[in-house]
Amino acid sequence: MHRTSSYLVALVAVAALALASAQPLTWPAAWTSAEPGEAQYGGTYRVSALSDPRTFNPFVSAEENDIVDAADATTLLRQGPDSDAFIPNMAESFEISDDGLSVTMTLREGLRWSDGEPIDTDDFLFAYEAQTDEDVGSNAYDGWFIEGELIEMTAVDDRTVRFDFPVEDRLALVVAGYLSPAPDHILGEIYRDGGAEALKEAWGTDTDVSETVWATAFVPVEFLPGQRIVFERNPYFGEWNVDAQGNALPYLDRYVVEIVESIDAALNLYIAGEIDAFSPSNLDQVGVVSQAIRNGDIDAELLPNVAPVASSQFIVFNWNKASEPKKEALFRDVRFRRAMSHLVDREAITELVYGGSAAPMWSDVYQVYAYWVNPDVPKYPFDPERALELLAEIGYTPDDDGTLVDADGEPLAFTLATNAGNDQREQIAQIFADEARRAGVQVDVQAIDFNLLVDQLLTTGDDRPFDAILIGLQGGNRIWPWGSNVLPCDGNLHMYNQSGACLTDAERTAERLYGEGRRTLDTEAARQIGYAIQARMAALQPQIFTVSPLSHFSWASDVGGEHPRDLIDTVVGVRQLPLTFKR
Amino acid sequence: MFGYVVRRLFNLIPTFLGATFLAFLVAQLVPGDFLAQRALEPNVRPETIERLRVQFGLDQPWPVQYVRWLGSLLQGDLGLSFSSNQPVWDLIAAPIRNSMVLVVASLVLLYALAIPLGVFSAVRQYSWADQIVSAISYFGLAIPNFFFAQVLILGLFLLRGFTRETFGFNELLLPVAQMTSSDFSDLNAWGRFLDVAHHTILPAFVVATSGVAGFTRVLRAQMIEYLSSDFIRTARAKGVGRRSITYKHALRPAVIPFVAGIGGILPTLIGGAGLVEIVVSWPGITPTLLAAIQRQDIYVVLGLVVVTTGLLMIGNLISDLLLAAVDPRIRYD
Repeated sequence: MHRTSSYLVALVAVAALALASAQPLTWPAAWTSAEPGEAQYGGTYRVSALSDPRTFNPFVSAEENDIVDAADATTLLRQGPDSDAFIPNMAESFEISDDGLSVTMTLREGLRWSDGEPIDTDDFLFAYEAQTDEDVGSNAYDGWFIEGELIEMTAVDDRTVRFDFPVEDRLALVVAGYLSPAPDHILGEIYRDGGAEALKEAWGTDTDVSETVWATAFVPVEFLPGQRIVFERNPYFGEWNVDAQGNALPYLDRYVVEIVESIDAALNLYIAGEIDAFSPSNLDQVGVVSQAIRNGDIDAELLPNVAPVASSQFIVFNWNKASEPKKEALFRDVRFRRAMSHLVDREAITELVYGGSAAPMWSDVYQVYAYWVNPDVPKYPFDPERALELLAEIGYTPDDDGTLVDADGEPLAFTLATNAGNDQREQIAQIFADEARRAGVQVDVQAIDFNLLVDQLLTTGDDRPFDAILIGLQGGNRIWPWGSNVLPCDGNLHMYNQSGACLTDAERTAERLYGEGRRTLDTEAARQIGYAIQARMAALQPQIFTVSPLSHFSWASDVGGEHPRDLIDTVVGVRQLPLTFKR
Repeated sequence: MFGYVVRRLFNLIPTFLGATFLAFLVAQLVPGDFLAQRALEPNVRPETIERLRVQFGLDQPWPVQYVRWLGSLLQGDLGLSFSSNQPVWDLIAAPIRNSMVLVVASLVLLYALAIPLGVFSAVRQYSWADQIVSAISYFGLAIPNFFFAQVLILGLFLLRGFTRETFGFNELLLPVAQMTSSDFSDLNAWGRFLDVAHHTILPAFVVATSGVAGFTRVLRAQMIEYLSSDFIRTARAKGVGRRSITYKHALRPAVIPFVAGIGGILPTLIGGAGLVEIVVSWPGITPTLLAAIQRQDIYVVLGLVVVTTGLLMIGNLISDLLLAAVDPRIRYD
C-alpha cells in the first residue's frame, strides 16, 4: 500500500526541508494528474454545497466541514492525499521530543493574511486560547484534552511554538498539527476587549465577508445567503505555496460555491452546465449523469463505485437488560451474536438497497481507511444453517411451525429499532428481519424518531430500554481511526454495554489496546495494535457490521488538476483546490 | 369602525399568545434537542454537551424557556439561533424577502391567467374551449407542484437536446435552479433585475398553476351564477352591451370572495412557495424552515411562526375591512 508510512519518514523529510530554509511549500507533482506545465492560470471553478455556512467565525461553527475551511486547510502540518504521514504545511519543520511528550514547530517565513498582515505565532496562540476557552464553546475544545488534561502551547519565539502533551499520544499530534491560525490583529483584539461573548458574536453571516481575513488559497469576497459564496484567489497564498515547477498557487482566479437546497437541484445544475463537479449520491444519479454525457449535454468525467464512504451501518444488541434476564443472557452470548451475523445477507443488502454499489464490512474500521483495515478478521458471513447450529447450541430448536423456541417453549424474538426516515437503514432492517423470520427468529422492525433512538442507545445503567438498534457512525481520522468514546468501557458510545464496566475479557483487552495504540507513535506498530483490536472485536461481534456504500464522482472535462486516479477516494476527495485549473 | 378595529386588535393578543405557546409546546414535544444530534460524534465528551446545553439555556424546564423567549420577544428580539449564534431575524430576513419575490411574481401571473380564463369559461359555458380550460384546470389541481417543477425541468433539458441537434443552439431556455446566476455580482442593477426575473419564471409559473386551477373554477361558478341572475337579465333587457355586462355587472360581484381572500395572501407572501423552493433551490422560507426543524434550531422555527402568525392575523383584519369597503351589505359598527 502506498499509504504505508511512519513518523520517521516524515521526520527525514522535515530534516531535508530544514536545510533549505525559507522555502515555500512545494506541492508534489504526485498530487495532480496534470502534466508539468499543463496547468494554466485563470478561470472559475464552480461547485455546490447543501447548506449555507452558519458563520464565518472559526470558533463558533457547530458543524465541521465548514465551507470556508473546506476551501483548503491552513494548518501547521497536513497529510497529503498520497500518504497518512504528517508533512509540514504552515510550519516549515517540526520536531518531536525523544520522550514523545512535546513537539516544536517552526513557522514558514512569508506567511500572510489576505489583508497583507504577517502571520506569526501570536495568531496560532490566539487560536489555541480561544479554542481552549470553555466559554467560547469551540468544536475543537475537547480535542485539546488528553485523559482530562490540557495540551499546553507556548511560543518559543516569533516563529517557533511548542506543544507539551500530558502523555504520549498519537492523537496529540493530530490536534496540534491541525491547528489553524486565527487573525490575532482582528479577532484577537475583539476577544481581548470583549471576552468570549464578543468573540462569539464576531464574523456572523451578516458580516460583510470582504472584511474578514483568511490564510487560505481562496478568500470569500461575496456571500449571498442561500445562494452562493464567491471566493477569489488570495495573492499572498502563492508566496508560500508553489507547484512542482515553482509556479505560485492557486491557478484559478475564482472559486464559487453554489448553495443548493437539495442534491437533485445540484444534479440539475450540473446537467445544465452551471456547476463543474458533482458527486452522485446513488446509482440513479450516476445513471442520469452518464446519460447526460452520452447525450452530449455535458462534457464530463464520471467515476462510479470509487471507494467506500467513511461511515458504517451496524446492528447493536443491548447487554444491559436486568428486567429481562433471559434476553440479557441471550444478547450477551457471543454465539447468539455470531448467529445473527450469519443471518445478515450482505449481498442482498448490496443489491437491493444500494443497487450493487456497496462493499461488505467486517471490522469496526471504515474501509476507506484501507491502511488500518485488518483483512483477516474472523468473518461470520450469510449462512442460515450455521446460524441454526449456533442457536441450537444455546438451546433454541425449531418447533412444528419452524419457529425457534427454548426449552420452556418461548420463541426467540426481539425488536430491532432504527431511525424513521432513513430509507436505507429501514430496508437493511427489513432484509435482516426477513432472513431471520425464515430461520425461525421473530424480529420486529420499528422505525422511530432519530433522537428517540439515540436517547435509548445512550441510556446508561443495568436496564436499558431497547433490544437491538440498527444505526451508523461516522467520523474518525487517518491517524488512529477509533473514537475516544467507543472502545473504552466507560465511553458513552460503548453502546452495547453501558453498565460502566467491562463485562468480557475481549472488551478489557480492546480497551487496553486502544490506550496502547494511542500511546504508540510509530505508525506501523500502531497498525499492528489496531489489527489486534479489530480481530478481538470481530470475534466478539458486539456490533454486527453490514455494508459500506461506495461513493461516486463526476467533474467537467475542462477542469484539470485532479488527483491521479488511484489516489481518489472519499477521504482525500478528487482534487486539491490550489492545484485545480481550467483548460 | 374605529372601535371595531381597536377591539379586533385587542382580540389578537390572546390569539397570538396561544399560537406561539402551541408552537413552543410542539417544538418541545419533539424528543431530544439541538445538541442531541451531536451525542453520536465519537470524539465529543458528554460533559461538553452538558456544558453547551447550559450555555444555550436548554437545561431549563420548557415553561422557563418559553417565558424567557416571550420576554425577549416583547422587546422585539426573536432570540439567537443555536447553530450560528446569530439573531434569528438576521437569518430569516433574506429568505422572507426571497420568498416574497417568488410569491408576488406568481400572484401576478395567477391573476393575469385566472381572471381571463374564468370569465372566458363562464361566458362560453360547456363549449369545447370551456372543456379544455376545465381539463387543464383539473390537471393543475391534481399535479403536485414539486413534481410539476421537475417535469418542466426535464422538458427544458429535452428542448435543449432538440435545439442542439436541430439548430446547433445549446442553451437552456430558462435556468433550472437557483435565484441568480453565478456571475450575478458582476451585473449592473438592470442586469440583476433581469437575471432574477429570468430565474423566477419557472418556479412562479409552477406555483401559479395550482392557484390558477382553483381560482378559475370558483370564478367560473360565480360568473355563471351572476350571469343568470335577475339583474343581469334586466340589464340585458335594457340593451346593455355584452362586454359591459360581463366585465362591469357580473365580474365585479363575482370577485368579492377573492377580495375577502386577499388578506390571506399576506401570510402566503412570506409563507413561501413550499416544496417548489426545494426543487429549484430557491433560497426562500421553506428550505430555511425545514433545515431549522431538522437541526432543532427551535428559535429559528419559532421566529418564522411568529412572523407568519402575525401577518396572518393582520391579513385577516385587512380582509374584513376590505370586504366592508367593496360589499355594501357589510358594515362594522
